[in-house]
Amino acid sequence: MAHGTTHEHDVIIIGGGGAGLRASIAIAQENPDFSVACVSKVYPMRSHTVTAEGGAAAKIKPNDSLEDHIYDTISGADWLADQDAVEYFVNEAPTEMIQLEHWGCPWSREPDGSVAVRPFGGMKIERTWFAADKTGFHMLHSLFQTTLKYGNIVRYDEHFATRLLIDGNGRCRGCAAIELRTGTVRAILGKAVIICTGGAGRVFPFTTNGSIKTGDGMSMAYRAGVALKDMEFIQYHPTGLPGTGILITEASRGEGGILVNKDGYRYLQDYELGEALDVSDPRHPQKRAMELGPRDRLSQCFIKERWAGRTIETKDGHVVHLDLRHLGEAKIDKKIPFVRELSRNYAGIDPVYKPIPVRPVVHYVMGGIDVDSNSATSVPGLYAAGECACVSINGANRLGSNSLTELLVFGAQAGRHAARFAMDNPDYDVPDLEAQAEDEGARIRRAWFDTSRKDGERIVTLRTELHEAMEDGAGIYRNADSLQAACETIADLHERYRNVTLDDHTNSFNTELTAALELGSLLDVAEAMAHSAVERTESRGSHQRLDHTERNDDDFLAHSMAFHQNDGSPPRIEYKPVTITKWPPGARTYGAGSGLKKSEST
Amino acid sequence: MSGQYHRPHGWAWFLERPGYVRFMVREFTSFFVAGYLIVFLVTLGRLGGGEAAFAEWLGAVSGPGWMAAHVIALVAAAWHSITWFAAVPQAMPIYLGEKRLPAPLAAVVMGYGPWLTVTAVIVWWVLR
Amino acid sequence: MTMSAQQTMTIEVFRYHPETDDEPRFQAYEVPYDEDWVVLDALNWIKDHVDGSLTHRWSCRMGVCGSCGMMVNGDPKLTCAAFLKDYYPRPIKVEPLVNFPVERDLVVSLDGFMEKLEAVKPYIIRDDVNDTSGGEYLQSPAELAQYKQYSMCINCMLCYAACPVAGHEDEFLGPAALALGHRYNKDSRDQGQSERLDVMLVGEAIWGCTFVGECTVVCPKHVDPAGAIQQAKAVGAQEYFKRFVAPKGAGV
Repeated sequence: MAHGTTHEHDVIIIGGGGAGLRASIAIAQENPDFSVACVSKVYPMRSHTVTAEGGAAAKIKPNDSLEDHIYDTISGADWLADQDAVEYFVNEAPTEMIQLEHWGCPWSREPDGSVAVRPFGGMKIERTWFAADKTGFHMLHSLFQTTLKYGNIVRYDEHFATRLLIDGNGRCRGCAAIELRTGTVRAILGKAVIICTGGAGRVFPFTTNGSIKTGDGMSMAYRAGVALKDMEFIQYHPTGLPGTGILITEASRGEGGILVNKDGYRYLQDYELGEALDVSDPRHPQKRAMELGPRDRLSQCFIKERWAGRTIETKDGHVVHLDLRHLGEAKIDKKIPFVRELSRNYAGIDPVYKPIPVRPVVHYVMGGIDVDSNSATSVPGLYAAGECACVSINGANRLGSNSLTELLVFGAQAGRHAARFAMDNPDYDVPDLEAQAEDEGARIRRAWFDTSRKDGERIVTLRTELHEAMEDGAGIYRNADSLQAACETIADLHERYRNVTLDDHTNSFNTELTAALELGSLLDVAEAMAHSAVERTESRGSHQRLDHTERNDDDFLAHSMAFHQNDGSPPRIEYKPVTITKWPPGARTYGAGSGLKKSEST
Repeated sequence: MSGQYHRPHGWAWFLERPGYVRFMVREFTSFFVAGYLIVFLVTLGRLGGGEAAFAEWLGAVSGPGWMAAHVIALVAAAWHSITWFAAVPQAMPIYLGEKRLPAPLAAVVMGYGPWLTVTAVIVWWVLR
Repeated sequence: MTMSAQQTMTIEVFRYHPETDDEPRFQAYEVPYDEDWVVLDALNWIKDHVDGSLTHRWSCRMGVCGSCGMMVNGDPKLTCAAFLKDYYPRPIKVEPLVNFPVERDLVVSLDGFMEKLEAVKPYIIRDDVNDTSGGEYLQSPAELAQYKQYSMCINCMLCYAACPVAGHEDEFLGPAALALGHRYNKDSRDQGQSERLDVMLVGEAIWGCTFVGECTVVCPKHVDPAGAIQQAKAVGAQEYFKRFVAPKGAGV
């Protein structure tokens, strides 16, 4: 690691995806005198927001209501969402979406020119805005291109942040980051920091997540003493392509696609998800029912079908069929063209003529860096937003199309609060922070560039074992034994991690080094996931325990909080109560007529 | 550190991709079109010089070498027109509501159709 | 991913290290052949199992993040969408995208493109752009269709690698940047065409394009930058005329 340089700004944003870019704009726009640094390990347009397909939820149509969006979100979350945060989110969502519309996002439109909406899983009313089926792509590029308007947003593209810098008063004042091109470790300093580094699906082998989603920000915050909250809740999306794990969007079901087992039978009707209306029935697809049930339920149904021997065996594992043929070529090409492109390229089938083989795939981490309803962490000056953060509005199961909106609402909010913190706390000690960054450079050099250490293990060996441990131990259905085994493997891997050796000890664009650092992040995140899951002896949302099959509100209507231990021992797990305001925990029902009845809220 | 590597550009870049070769052929056909325009201007000049001068010129450009040149120029001009018509739908899209007129149809509407119509009118006018 | 260990194929990779090399070289690797694999899978397998120093960019492996563009047997391709089965059993030669400076191995510098993208002002320009009180701007499906195709660019840079002008003329803004500039000019919500043309009509910025058309041929997202540029040239020519008749600032 070459000797570093120091760069000073007002607010530092780590991550250049949807949340990071939205936060950057919020600060740049409202504080024109501020200098905002956007530090990202990839160019912003490569960020994983780009792959989101189906859409983003916000109340815009007169037949919808904020109340319905709130209730769908809370019930979808199996009552583990904080209701004050959900209310804030739902109230802010329309403004944020309109703002993005003003910034050029090419939303699909109704004939009258207003934005079009489609239904998504777990929704009582259709409220998902969409840009065909490349919504995340268009949102990310609209945001990124809009940042180019602001001269006070300074991008640090391809800078890999490895450590948060904390001043003598315990405030977060920047990060140490490797400039990939040169290998220089830079001290990027500011008065406040926002982490927007996305999720960690790469903890699992079979995931929709791109290679960059390794939980680096979660790990950095965890090591700085912030709790990782609700990490046991991992969303499996019910429809991924076998082999690659490429996502087939829920919009394909929102537009009327159906799921069938090996007998061509719509098996979801056997699992309390409502009645299977014929696809020609004008009421199909029915909201909050069948194929438009929530993701956790649909993924669990797949496993039950598999146990019953009614799935289809392929060389890439068991699948069911997502049948879109009745939609017809014109509708598929207009509403979900990317589904057709992906199916043709990566599954070798054209959904106009054949059903798509699909299986559940790790998609989203509901948990993340513990933040309050102002996006602030327990470390003063440190904020987080997007998938890496846990407010929580997603609770035990995120509703499809809430995550893209979450990026906007909480990205903007984190930006505003961080800017305020920066204004109120302007002074910090530069040499002290520089010394920390230099120390980080030295640590990385010691750990990875020691050429005397030979014959250690390869990164891939450990990563593969981690994948197996998580898939076997912490998948859709878990139990104490499987989770305990995962915890033990992860502890063992943490030990062996120190003995990984690299082929590459050079400075320029050393992606083997970044892969090693990412493996460290994955191990931290996996540790928090597995230990939080062991401790939660109930079943709720996406966390299904075969040894504790019921929801237990008496003991577990609470967020798990995993705290990193510096002595290498397992994380300490604490609990924090869920904020319940107007919607007391109830039965989570789907099928015809389910959802909020006007009398239900108090 | 020797820094970034800049790959050298060869002089024969136009042979690197078949598309580049097609591009060069298309551009070269314009020389034939321009050349024939000169022939046409000379022809007009001779026509102004009287019947004898014009007849002499016609005789001169009817030799076997000239005939070959006419054919080559005709082929080049035709190819130039075809590439032009292929480009028109890209450069001048026609929308019918949200639908864009497919390229082959647009080429007929904006290229081949008018071309054949004008040609037919000229042929009719000459032969009537 | 399953693999049949018996069959293998050869991948020849362009190697260049800025700290030690003056000239690039090619290095051949034997990789397992799997008909489901793409070139990117083979590169990842090499990096994981054989040579950790091999350097390339990638992320989504579903053709939308735009990271993994490289020359595959001389053609600019997204390596996540270039299947081994389309080349097997012949060897595959993988090089960094041409017309860009090489940082290391298969990684090229995007500095030039990022400047050009910023230059075309790829964002909505109008006074009330940050005022959401009036609800969404209305835009009919027909108005959306006018620019939608040009908004599909993933910035993968294959078009620059296919463009002989981009390789020879620095002043030329290039296919992707110009297509994005045109995308905003065609957006019914935008009022910034004049500002953008101020940039696009300078020198070779747009006029450098000789309509070779290969950008459109290689574009994995069917953006048709060549078409966008010709349309923008037509708009530019009209603008020249207008400015000639009524110069800016003449108060017309």
